[in-house]
Amino acid sequence: MAVVEFKGKSFEVDEDGFLQRFEDWTPEWVDYIKDTEGIKEMTDDHQKVIDFLQDYYKKNGIAPMVRILSKVTGFKLKQIYELFPSGPGKGACKMAGLPKPTGCV
Amino acid sequence: MAFISSGYNPEKPMENRITDIGPQHFTEFLQPVIKKNFGKWLYHEILEAGVLKHVAESGDAVYTVRCGTARLMTVTHIREICDIADEWCGGYLRFTTRNNIEFMLEDEAKALELKKFLNGQKFSGGSIKFPVGGTGAGVTNIVHTQGWVHCHTPATDASGTVKATMDAVFDQFTDMKLPAPVRISMACCLNMCGAVHCSDIAILGIHRKPPIIDHKYLDNLCEIPLAVAACPTGAVRPSKVEIDGETYKTVAIKEERCMFCGNCYTMCPSLPLADKEGDGIALMVGGKVSNRITKPAFSKVVVPFIPNNPPRWPEMTDVITRILNAYSEGANKYERLGDWAARIGWERFFEVCDLEFTEHLIDDFRDPAYYTWRQTTQFKW
Repeated sequence: MAVVEFKGKSFEVDEDGFLQRFEDWTPEWVDYIKDTEGIKEMTDDHQKVIDFLQDYYKKNGIAPMVRILSKVTGFKLKQIYELFPSGPGKGACKMAGLPKPTGCV
Repeated sequence: MAFISSGYNPEKPMENRITDIGPQHFTEFLQPVIKKNFGKWLYHEILEAGVLKHVAESGDAVYTVRCGTARLMTVTHIREICDIADEWCGGYLRFTTRNNIEFMLEDEAKALELKKFLNGQKFSGGSIKFPVGGTGAGVTNIVHTQGWVHCHTPATDASGTVKATMDAVFDQFTDMKLPAPVRISMACCLNMCGAVHCSDIAILGIHRKPPIIDHKYLDNLCEIPLAVAACPTGAVRPSKVEIDGETYKTVAIKEERCMFCGNCYTMCPSLPLADKEGDGIALMVGGKVSNRITKPAFSKVVVPFIPNNPPRWPEMTDVITRILNAYSEGANKYERLGDWAARIGWERFFEVCDLEFTEHLIDDFRDPAYYTWRQTTQFKW
């Protein structure tokens, strides 16, 4: 697996750029990955989504369903796509350090 | 090759981005006679295997020549198809729902000539590039999946098994002498992408061994509750293991409850189960989707396991031809394979097809299994 070096931190990632270990996540990871996800500037809204994804994952061991993400953060799916152009899975979950979505995706 | 930009600017990914435009409207590509007579067709007939004639209220007729494809095809092959369409059909063509190609012409003699031409086109290995057929009561193209070409959950190959099967039943593709159409479908795992659950004959890839658990990585790569919930028999449960003094969160699998469906691997990359000797093919028969005479039906498992034997899968093609021959001899006109088996009784079906009946074929999945057992004294010795 590839190892990424950024601002003195190193991250182990897979071929799709997802973190291999949730524990490796640091705020620098968001800085590093935001460009490839088409995000210029991190806003409070971005942070709110990432914080919720991480809390939910720590508590439940899974990523939330899209409807739960919308309901809790108050962002409609359209707004989530405006924040994270690649969408809640490829964009937000990747930035939050969650495991890669699986199933027939 | 050096990078050549399409004009997309990775610095501004959302600039000039076109989305949600959908597919192009099909009327843009309609053959002129079809466009003119859209919704005004009177009747049709099959002139000969692979050649259809549709007559419209206006008296216009369109002749359709249908030929087989391998579905998985190169751009070179598509360009050859386009060349044929340009030369014979004014640049128009279409693909069917079973991935055959249809060329439409306005002249009967020319259509029959095109059939001869298509049947004469060959690959350097000798296979016919565009074999004409697939109409009426025969065997048309096999709906199939990715297999070892592209998917990560298959238990067998798709393109390989399909080529071997179509070679074995090729005569039925170019002719129409069966009691009713026979749909053969193929899926390389029991996600059953495609039509195996509702086809006259179905080829299905199956596993016979439980997943291997990659304990060290499982918690990092998987959402454990999803893997637990993916199991139809409740064989997966969360657990902890200790390896080299370190504790890892992982899952445990009750092997005697596992029936090797592979759903947990779909959800969790740390539970691979593909196995060279364990994996193989199950055959199912008797499904259909049409409402003609009898209701649509699911196909039923009649052969629990045939080993993978690439590249030609001879054991599998042998059983398929045996079932097809028995059906061809035994069924009445218009009787689909499942209707025939239901009429003569499944015990007789196993007898005439010379198939072994084993305990694997008896349904044991939850309450509905009971309804598949025989609650009557009516049976044949």
